Amino acid sequence: MKYILTFFLTIFAFSFFSQEDKKVQFVGGARSIISNADFSSDQEDTVTSRKNSGGYALIDLGFKINPNASTEILGMVRIKNAFGGFWGSGVTFDVRQLYVKGVVKNALRYQIGNIDYKLTPYTFYNHNADLLVQSSSVLKIKEEVLNYESFYKNNTWRQQGAAIDFALQFPKVVDEIKVNSFITRLNPSNLGNILERLYGGGNVIFTQSKYLTLGFNHVSIFDLKNTALNENAYRNNVSSVSYKATLDLKKHIFGISGESGISSSALSLDTTGGLNDYFINVQANYQHKKSGLKAHVGYMDNGADFRSFGAQSKRVDFNQLNNFYERYTNDQIVRPLSNYDLYNDPTLYSNSITTGIMAYNPAVNNALPYGIATFNRRGLFAGLKYATKKESIKFESNYYRLGEVRGQGTTNLRNFNSVNANLEFNFSKMFNWKKEQKLTAGYAFQDTKRTSDLSYEQISLKSTTLNLGLEMELVDDLYLLANSYYFKSKGNESMPVRNAEGEIINYTAMNISGEELCLAGGLKYNFTPSIYLAAIYESNANSFSSVSSYRYNQFYIYYIMKF
Amino acid sequence: MKNYIFLLALGLGFVACRKEESNKFDGPSLTDLNGAFVIINGLQASQDSVDFAAGESVYFTADLSKTSAWKITITGQTSGAVKEMTGLSSSIELSQSVWTGNTTNLPIFKAEMCKVDLTFTNEPDTLTVYVKVLAPKINTGFLISDFESGFNGGWTSFVQAGANMDFQIKSDVSAPEGNSYYNMAGTVDWDWLIGLVNFNASAYGASTFPLSSNPNNVYFNVMMYGEPGLTNSLVLFQFEEDENGDGAFTSASEDMYSLQVTVDWVGWKMVSIKYSDIPCLVNGSPAAPNGEGTHQSNKVRAINMLHLANPNSGFAKAKLDYMIFTENAPLNP
Repeated sequence: MKYILTFFLTIFAFSFFSQEDKKVQFVGGARSIISNADFSSDQEDTVTSRKNSGGYALIDLGFKINPNASTEILGMVRIKNAFGGFWGSGVTFDVRQLYVKGVVKNALRYQIGNIDYKLTPYTFYNHNADLLVQSSSVLKIKEEVLNYESFYKNNTWRQQGAAIDFALQFPKVVDEIKVNSFITRLNPSNLGNILERLYGGGNVIFTQSKYLTLGFNHVSIFDLKNTALNENAYRNNVSSVSYKATLDLKKHIFGISGESGISSSALSLDTTGGLNDYFINVQANYQHKKSGLKAHVGYMDNGADFRSFGAQSKRVDFNQLNNFYERYTNDQIVRPLSNYDLYNDPTLYSNSITTGIMAYNPAVNNALPYGIATFNRRGLFAGLKYATKKESIKFESNYYRLGEVRGQGTTNLRNFNSVNANLEFNFSKMFNWKKEQKLTAGYAFQDTKRTSDLSYEQISLKSTTLNLGLEMELVDDLYLLANSYYFKSKGNESMPVRNAEGEIINYTAMNISGEELCLAGGLKYNFTPSIYLAAIYESNANSFSSVSSYRYNQFYIYYIMKF
Repeated sequence: MKNYIFLLALGLGFVACRKEESNKFDGPSLTDLNGAFVIINGLQASQDSVDFAAGESVYFTADLSKTSAWKITITGQTSGAVKEMTGLSSSIELSQSVWTGNTTNLPIFKAEMCKVDLTFTNEPDTLTVYVKVLAPKINTGFLISDFESGFNGGWTSFVQAGANMDFQIKSDVSAPEGNSYYNMAGTVDWDWLIGLVNFNASAYGASTFPLSSNPNNVYFNVMMYGEPGLTNSLVLFQFEEDENGDGAFTSASEDMYSLQVTVDWVGWKMVSIKYSDIPCLVNGSPAAPNGEGTHQSNKVRAINMLHLANPNSGFAKAKLDYMIFTENAPLNP
């Protein structure tokens, strides 16, 4: 209680300070969610609670302090209160963000503490590999909550460490040389068998002109020796060259871009030399100026031993258990992660770099489970992007025709076809209506095949995702939301079982057959563009479990504010 | 334009350089794991007779068409001793199947004919060979007693005057080692103590047992038998240390460490403990030792073996055999 009082007195004092010279600003957000779920399954279930209600309110309150024009300090605390636990259990008080950043001599930018950082898609990048279609309507609200909770912004990873960036500009030959560097701590030493592990790197980007950019990138995950009793220090190095060149003609823009590089990963006591490999990603780009149509076609070749954990860490570890209805039926079988859980539960997401091959669900994304940086993939890809001038229609599609570089348990290779497309109609822009009316459709399809004369080597797996979303402004600031999300997967896979070093030691045969349908609808009222209240009802049915299908209906109230 | 050509050439150059991987794959072969099971080379022993006492060993080999979970079971045709080895592989080699004469389940192997069976978890096949043990292995360490030479005159004992008392060395085929063991049985309804034997170092011509001074390297091992239907026997081993070297144990000022074993199993079982792990007990509960408080294995002057049972629990019975101190590791019988 004493701390809470001190906290509010501090806010009060700062608010006066803020009003006088604007050196202190308050930033943050608030959110409250109330939910009520009704769960049922095909099998008799007298153990699992049929109804589940809960909710919480939280406030993220940050103090952005500018002691001078070139320095900014942000400290943000979170107070979270699970409903039913007021003034006691259920109330948590955490530090959510803390950083200092600034500019030295108007030339060198630095940030210490929490940093949101990325480099290139193959070195340090937060790929969103499990939500394959664009979120809209109800799902958009949920994905925004997920992203806010885990600090997912423009494919950056939230890390703790320091970053320094600066740029040099030249009158001739090269327009600009930009240097970015960072160092973060992945895990502390336990003074026993776990060494202090750091992650650092950076890049130098030469911008010759607006037509040619060349970047040299390097990242390294490394253990600090002598920080524990363990002599076996780990290292994962990735170096790459990235480039982008454009040819701007009167009606067309042509270009070529890509990234190629090498990786090595090894333990210091490993006499085999560890894993070494390389990757290539090169694409030709085209843009038709008048219509706005963009297209690209490319080739990628990611080696089977290519390891870049800064780009291959997944947001979701599929080995973890659900937090919501973790088990069901009288036998209390485990309820596996569903797409519905991926949208609904922010606690499934992580913002840490994992130095190891993370588990994934082949039904969700088997072609590129670790994004474009997925190892052991080679093939062609192509994409189209189109938007009308008023953006009344937007369309984007990507296609991958990939295969494995090296087989798993056999010399026969898997082949992958993956396509996803998103289409958006903005009727208010199309017909100049005052009220917003938007219809979006997302589609994703994946097909995995491994052919063989031997039945135990054969793999055939197909997955389809379809999402339809509608946002209709009924009266000023009041929206009708509707969403239909459908996911189907059928076939088989042979999932590798790996040891702690990432070597395949066995395979688990998976037979996948099921559908998931989520229908959602509700109302949303915008108090301002950054404050809204939404009431949503949804019905979810899932038949992926071979033991028992289940369904639940859920009612939510969201209140979300950002300031 | 030159830049584009250069970058394209660079990329294509990388593609051309990739080493051929079409004949390689990661992980164990799926054919090894899922193909038809065929025995390519049957079970063979590296020799058909073996003298373990002379330091010899025997190993077994076989080749299979796929990776399989296998088990080699060696059964002594006279003793009934069993040695088991398991693995998951498509070939059985020296490193996985060497037998030095030890046992998995008591009793210990004798000089006898042994049957060697190779079986597979998911296959009905059983392959068999025979190996003759010319002489069983010799265990290194200080043997307190295997009861083969009768009751040592330097030991002392006390047996209560209860009902059905049977404290004596017996000889029959059930002995886990050799032919003899120490039998302890009886009913004492007024006291926990049924009987005891003091194994004094003086019985071996020394003031203390000839053990290493490092208690972390010394292991006490004993084979104990639990009678079917009875779980009330407690066997307490007390290790008296003569810390001041006066040839006697003074309980008020010297350490005594105690190992209490509840014999709640059926059949013979090997019990081993590192000397430094043996606690000081008072009435079965951990307590501070009365002496210097450090385990000094080279100062053990006597081992008191007490057979105890709750006086209300009725008849109690247990057996002992092959008490031995080993160094560096527990006894691998």
